[in-house]
Amino acid sequence: MTPLQKRDNLLTCFMILVLLTLFVLWLKSIPFESSWQRAGLINLSLGFVMLAAYVTARILSIIGLPLISGCIFAGIIAGPYVSGFLSIEMVDQLKLVDELALSFIALTAGGELRLQSLKKRKKAIILNIVLQTVVICCLVSGFVTSAGHFFAFTGNLSSVQIIVLAILLGVISVARSPSSTIAIISECRARGPFTETVLGVTVLIDVLIIVFFTFALAVAKVIITGSAVMDLQVFAALSAEMIVSLLVGVGLGLIISFHIKRFGKDLTLFLLFLAFAVTKTSLWLSGFMDSQFNISLHLEPLLICMSAGFFVQNFSGVGDDFMESMDRMALPIYVLFFSLAGAALNLDSLRICWSMALCLVVIRIFGILLATFIAGTISRDPACHRQSAWMAYITQAGVAIGLAQLAQRQFPEIGVYLITLVLAVISINQIIGPIAFKIALGIVKEVGKR
Amino acid sequence: MKIFFALLIVIILAFSGYHLTFRSFRLPLFARKFYLTGTEFLFLGLLLGPQFLNILDEQTCRGLEPLAALLLGWIGLIFGFQFEVVKLKRFLPEFFLAAVSEGILTFIPVFCGVYFALPLFIEITGPIKIVTALAMASAATCTAHAGIALLAPDSVAGRQNTVKLLQYISSIDSLVALLIFNLAFFFRSSLFAGPSWVRELGIGFVISVVACVSLLVLYLLFLSQKRSEQELTLVVIGMTVFISGTASIINYSPLLTNFFMGFCIANLTRDKERIYNILISVEKPIYILLLFFLGGTMQLGSAWIIYAAAGYCLLRGLGKFTGGYIITKAVSKLKHQPAFLGFGMLEQGGLSFAILFDFQKAFPFETTMYVVSMALFAILFNDFLSPFFLKQLLKEGEK
Repeated sequence: MTPLQKRDNLLTCFMILVLLTLFVLWLKSIPFESSWQRAGLINLSLGFVMLAAYVTARILSIIGLPLISGCIFAGIIAGPYVSGFLSIEMVDQLKLVDELALSFIALTAGGELRLQSLKKRKKAIILNIVLQTVVICCLVSGFVTSAGHFFAFTGNLSSVQIIVLAILLGVISVARSPSSTIAIISECRARGPFTETVLGVTVLIDVLIIVFFTFALAVAKVIITGSAVMDLQVFAALSAEMIVSLLVGVGLGLIISFHIKRFGKDLTLFLLFLAFAVTKTSLWLSGFMDSQFNISLHLEPLLICMSAGFFVQNFSGVGDDFMESMDRMALPIYVLFFSLAGAALNLDSLRICWSMALCLVVIRIFGILLATFIAGTISRDPACHRQSAWMAYITQAGVAIGLAQLAQRQFPEIGVYLITLVLAVISINQIIGPIAFKIALGIVKEVGKR
Repeated sequence: MKIFFALLIVIILAFSGYHLTFRSFRLPLFARKFYLTGTEFLFLGLLLGPQFLNILDEQTCRGLEPLAALLLGWIGLIFGFQFEVVKLKRFLPEFFLAAVSEGILTFIPVFCGVYFALPLFIEITGPIKIVTALAMASAATCTAHAGIALLAPDSVAGRQNTVKLLQYISSIDSLVALLIFNLAFFFRSSLFAGPSWVRELGIGFVISVVACVSLLVLYLLFLSQKRSEQELTLVVIGMTVFISGTASIINYSPLLTNFFMGFCIANLTRDKERIYNILISVEKPIYILLLFFLGGTMQLGSAWIIYAAAGYCLLRGLGKFTGGYIITKAVSKLKHQPAFLGFGMLEQGGLSFAILFDFQKAFPFETTMYVVSMALFAILFNDFLSPFFLKQLLKEGEK
């Protein structure tokens, strides 16, 4: 593209953004009388966020920012804490779209995992998972335990409460954002050993984090209650949930591969609705089992979709067709998902505890750097891989929030502190993470290899 | 567990059904008719709705509002794209005049019938009555030509001109239907609540024009640059949802606004083929979803709905027969066409469903669900009757 064309593009993007904004401001000044108009506002907001995020991403791409950063940035601007165009209630109303997009991204994440590549990078992936989990968890927990009393935000907590907060924050810090990782890889059309390792580590950590967190919850309970016995039933239930989720995912994978083989490649809408069915059914089933049989069975929609995608990619022989269909809808889904994620970022939390959150972000990044460097050295990765791997693991999103909410229900006395800190840390990580990962992919020269 | 299994079965049925229905299924003619028009999905929607499985409950439907608006917008865009002036000019102006006249001649009896007869069945008064009659009449004006596609090639071979005319009329009379439906929005109850409805109407008109022009400029700006397939998909989806939202906020129809956009884009941009390919690639699933949503709100409880549907069907048939007869007698270039041309125009098709769905969303009166159910039954009656009459018409033409 010539500089003149670039200038024209930029000018058009600005004109679109200005016109969109003016138009929306005008529409919002019209008094709303009927439910039809209120429903219209949701559609208008959804369309606006999608288009404005895309245009913002295009403008920011000129200075090298990844698409999802542009979308997140647009989401923040449109969200309840900056312009207030999207209210908190509206962000909540759009959750259904958000969940649908997340299930769709999880299907892609599973489909991106190729067994052959995973086998080749087995050693590096295992080393990274083990080292990152141990190092990050220890550093973050250690920092909160030793410095928690010095921050105004957590200064009034007792020592026991600080320790519990430290353990939970330590484990939550290990969580990643596979959706961001997938989006960046897809945007950069990246392929190679570095990309495969990052993807494998990110997706597997996302699965394993649930186990680690359940363990952390059990330990925290022992500390809070002062009892010496750990409830092992929790682990049995968790294992059952994960196994059932994986099996349901395999079943779903079988259905998808049958559909592709029998009816051809045109399956984008079929996949979207399957993702919707998984999300809805999982939620319904956990409520149903709880109310009817008093059994807590919480199927993980993300795990189901990931294992379905993994099955189709590696065991059905139609993996390429599957990924081609996913690719067709990828851009609208990513733009929508990440702009809504940006709008949902809790900047109020960041304002409340920014100093402690900033320290946690730095400690976490230092932990990632240390762990990836050691893992890279042991698995004899090239120097550029070792030096830039830390940049690939900063992103954090939904899973961490979900875990914090779970902990909040279990420990209401420290719940507010935990959730506020987690939201603040995520706000920073989700802004710098995608940019750092894109830079890392450029350094290891795996951009555009697909 | 019933709902869990039902949900999975219905979704698999729906999407596998789409392929079976629209792609590779071979069935006897009477059953094929049922399957080709996708009518079975109306009943699957009914099964999913609150009367049976309650999966499409009120909360879910509210959550799916953006999708519903997207469906309407998408269908509106597709219809708008069919009105490419260059292609329309290939037909004689008399054909256009005939199609419009036929549409108006169908509209008049149905509008009068619904306006005067509906209060006999349900309590309906004032602007609600006018709006309902306009929506029902506009849905009745539409003609589909799926039935022609089902006929054996040898039965069509000798009557190519009649078949072409029927196809042309079925495209053009949808324009009349949409324009009539447009009138319904001028009779919104809120308009008449104010002291000066003329002023309100004027303001509404100005707002609609400003909104449409701004949206068109925005669309053209997006399309002024060469975009990849993925980007174009994003722009089309985003703009459709955005336009649908705008239409709802200004108390107007997403179907009509997107129709207008589709018409303008088809005639003004170089990317029309690429956009049309995107639109058409999901046309059938969109249509199926529309049937799902409509089926979900169908009412079976009252017997009067069936009787009223039969009456509605009769009035529409009368309009089509009369319209067909008059245009073949009055328009000189159509005099060689069979006098009972209306026999070939009984099928109602996709746009009527879209109009009914839009009406249901834009005017959620207490009576709306019942009236829409009546119209849906009438569409089903017409779908079953039309193959017989179409065959009669083509036989008549042979003589």
